[in-house]
Amino acid sequence: MISQRLKNVILGVLHLEDFDFKDSTTAAEVPGWDSLKHVAILTAVEQEYAIRFRSLEVIRLGNVGELQALIDRKAPPV
Amino acid sequence: MSEPELLWERWLRLAEENPDAPAIVHWVAGEEPFRWRRGALMSAAAGYAVHLLERGVKRGDVCAIIIRHHREVYPIYLAVSLIGALPAVLAYPNPRLHPLKFRDGLIGMSRRSGLDWLLAERALEPIVRPLLETGESTIRDLLFPLEWTGGSGTLPHQPAGRQRSSDPCLLQHSSGTTGLQKPVTLSHAAVLEHVRRYGQSIALSESDRVVSWLPLYHDMGLIAALHLPLAAGIPTVQLDPFEWIVAPVILLDAIHRERGTLCWLPNFAYNLLAERSPEEELEEIRLDSMRLFVNCSEPVRAESHERFLARFERYGVRAESLSACYAMAETTFAATQTAPGSAARVLDVSRDELSRGRFRLAEEGEAVRRCVSSGAPIGGCEVEVVDEQRRPVAGTHVGELRIRSVSMFDGYRNYPEKTAEILEGAWYYSGDYGFLHGGECYVIGRKKDVIIVAGKNIYPEDVEDAVSRVAGIMPGRVVAFGVDDEALGTEQIAIVGETERAGEDELSTLRRHVIEAAMQLDITISRVYLVPPRWLIKSSSGKPSRSANRARALDELSVSDGVHFG
Repeated sequence: MISQRLKNVILGVLHLEDFDFKDSTTAAEVPGWDSLKHVAILTAVEQEYAIRFRSLEVIRLGNVGELQALIDRKAPPV
Repeated sequence: MSEPELLWERWLRLAEENPDAPAIVHWVAGEEPFRWRRGALMSAAAGYAVHLLERGVKRGDVCAIIIRHHREVYPIYLAVSLIGALPAVLAYPNPRLHPLKFRDGLIGMSRRSGLDWLLAERALEPIVRPLLETGESTIRDLLFPLEWTGGSGTLPHQPAGRQRSSDPCLLQHSSGTTGLQKPVTLSHAAVLEHVRRYGQSIALSESDRVVSWLPLYHDMGLIAALHLPLAAGIPTVQLDPFEWIVAPVILLDAIHRERGTLCWLPNFAYNLLAERSPEEELEEIRLDSMRLFVNCSEPVRAESHERFLARFERYGVRAESLSACYAMAETTFAATQTAPGSAARVLDVSRDELSRGRFRLAEEGEAVRRCVSSGAPIGGCEVEVVDEQRRPVAGTHVGELRIRSVSMFDGYRNYPEKTAEILEGAWYYSGDYGFLHGGECYVIGRKKDVIIVAGKNIYPEDVEDAVSRVAGIMPGRVVAFGVDDEALGTEQIAIVGETERAGEDELSTLRRHVIEAAMQLDITISRVYLVPPRWLIKSSSGKPSRSANRARALDELSVSDGVHFG
């Protein structure tokens, strides 16, 4: 389940008004999410949650659900 | 007198001399690297070669290879060469690229380059198979070598028949937007001679190790980071470009662990590495082993070298390791290279004088353009500056660079009209604009992109640099070009810049800042087009294409999208 908070971060970086994110959504399915935007999204997520990703963690991300799970491990929802 | 050695004869000889020597380190982040030894690599290549022969691939056939970062891609590539066919590495389609667009690109490329076979991953079959059924392309069949098993590893004697060193051994595509790529074939002699000469210019030795994230469809990745080490008998460490862009620090990790000494990078990579390498992942990294970081394939910027050095000096990067090179697919690769052991020279040049087509060091108080040397011509290569009539000009003139090289290509494949435009006698007319100083070459722009405003030459790179620095404009996501002004009988400068800002007030302020930034360089921008991210069309090299974006802007954007001044 993708949180509204993560969704807002992604939409903000991509300048999208809305998008129906599912756990299985991949970057290629989202308008504007290319490799350089991917870097920008990761940076924005790090700032939003005050966390730092390691290289291997972000290389292995396959979809938005995995990004959400990674965030939840590093910054457990309260 | 014996026949000159062929490329694959060199590989076989090196493998025979020392089969256990490391050849290719296939790097996947977080995994133990796969290490190809020379003997095993050539044995695997021979196995694939037998498979290719069995499927009807013949000497002289062009085999396009579209396979992602995979440890088998190297022996597959070598196998094509072993049987006398021509390997041509093509980019794997981005998932967001529409299948029809990809197919159209392949049709265009196949007709121009004469692609005979497509060696691909099974995942591409649904997209590419229809091409074969409609007969729209020259491609005869699709092959899936990653699924082949049981190759004998032994080739019949002289599998390709006797080849000559002047025969083509590979096909690569010079940079250009989709459909406009020009196919360049290179001979065994050109590649081997280039490896020898370029190797001398960088003082290549047996102790060198190349580390690269560059894709193999790019000439810098293919020639500098694969062919050079293979033919020189030194190891090369190959990273996945897609992993690198997400986590640039893996390049530094690979350099550290493999004790890399040579690395070729386009200019933007210096900035990305400096900005996106987390401190905590650098803790154990040492980069002292590096002899040369070679900046090549886009304009070299002094600021990028300075940022890179400031960030990584404490990890062992030395100023003298920051070198530069001027290269193109048509001359196999390098035409010039800065001397190893000293940093690429930077000259503060009078911007005013440059705009008049001359070079002079800037005096105090003058507007300055910082020009980075790409070094002196490598052995077997000459570089001259010529005027509009292609006559050599001496001294301080700025003009088109022409190159004569022992490693010159033989012309664009199936493209005589394009060849005739740029090859005259033994000289290749690069279309690049620059000057020579102290025996070294300074490339400052593309001749065809120069904007001439009332007789004054404006280099679009200058405008783009200035606009890129304006807060609100996405760095590097700007193109500048000339627009004909019939009433004035000259060109005016227009820019298209990507911005994340929205709202008329914000955009209006941003447009004003853009114009003010250029005014500081005594440049007047007449039209400012602000567009959303991802609007700009990129060439295959990843840089925004001026010509394509000029056409799109003039076609799609009305004057109301821009600000028209005076």
